[in-house]
Amino acid sequence: MSESELTMSTGHEVLMEASPYRIEKKKLGMWIFIVSDACTFATFLFGYGYMRVGSQNWGTPFDFPTILNGIIMTFVLLSSSLTMLAAVRATQAGQKPSANKWLGLTITLGTVFAILHLREWFKMFGEGWGLFSNPTGGAVQFGACFFSVTGLHLAHVISGVIALLIITRGYNRGRYDTSHVETAGLYWHFVDLVWMFVFPMMYLMNAR
Amino acid sequence: MSSNQEPGMGSYVGIVIGLMIIVGIEVLLTYQHLPVRTLLFSLLCLACFEAFVGIMYLMHVKYESPLLFWTIFPATLFVLVLLNYVWPDAYRMARMSLGK
Repeated sequence: MSESELTMSTGHEVLMEASPYRIEKKKLGMWIFIVSDACTFATFLFGYGYMRVGSQNWGTPFDFPTILNGIIMTFVLLSSSLTMLAAVRATQAGQKPSANKWLGLTITLGTVFAILHLREWFKMFGEGWGLFSNPTGGAVQFGACFFSVTGLHLAHVISGVIALLIITRGYNRGRYDTSHVETAGLYWHFVDLVWMFVFPMMYLMNAR
Repeated sequence: MSSNQEPGMGSYVGIVIGLMIIVGIEVLLTYQHLPVRTLLFSLLCLACFEAFVGIMYLMHVKYESPLLFWTIFPATLFVLVLLNYVWPDAYRMARMSLGK
């Protein structure tokens, strides 16, 4: 039952006034979360900028293979946004098998992104990088900034994959509907858009 | 509950390919060895454009009530502008490390 139908049926027009935003409560809640999360990411990126500007020996440690890995990760994440859109479309059309296929593909692409990211991290750990260590002799804050910002984003991707798994399972069992998939999609696109800032700022600006 | 004027999947494919092309441009700019400030400005402009396209089309804000846009974005933008207060101190630190 939609919110407007509920308003009509209960007769509590004043108490149950329809949302002025004309979107479901869960979507509005997700938007509020996205705004607060965008501010969190912005704070991390500004903190990185602050330390970078304030350091004289920041350096540019990333070789082309690292940048190439970042490009592949970007394309994987952008593709997952497209598959998420297809999943939302399929749920809106009531095509359960198609929705399952696209949701599964989105989950797979999210997992591939996380694996590529972790592979990059472990390669860096092997080279001596850490939260408070820089094997190139540059500013030690580099590791703290890089692993904090990319780690926060990776945590969002992993959370998104877990959320999508739960939503897919619930959708198949009839517990969740189209609006749940749409709301999860909103979060997934946000994670994708954050990467559009993390990749140029953390990778490209540090390319040799 | 968004409107029915949403574009088809073909348009979304075009948008995502467009975003991928912008990422390609960012990588090309990086290897032009531009001055750091020019590169930073260019990359930030392109990233902001990508985010705007993504928010409007992929996140469907263009097809929602305009009130949603006007409630969320001016306030968020205001916070992001306020965060720029850190730069004078960052430049102070840079000057101190140079002994000026």
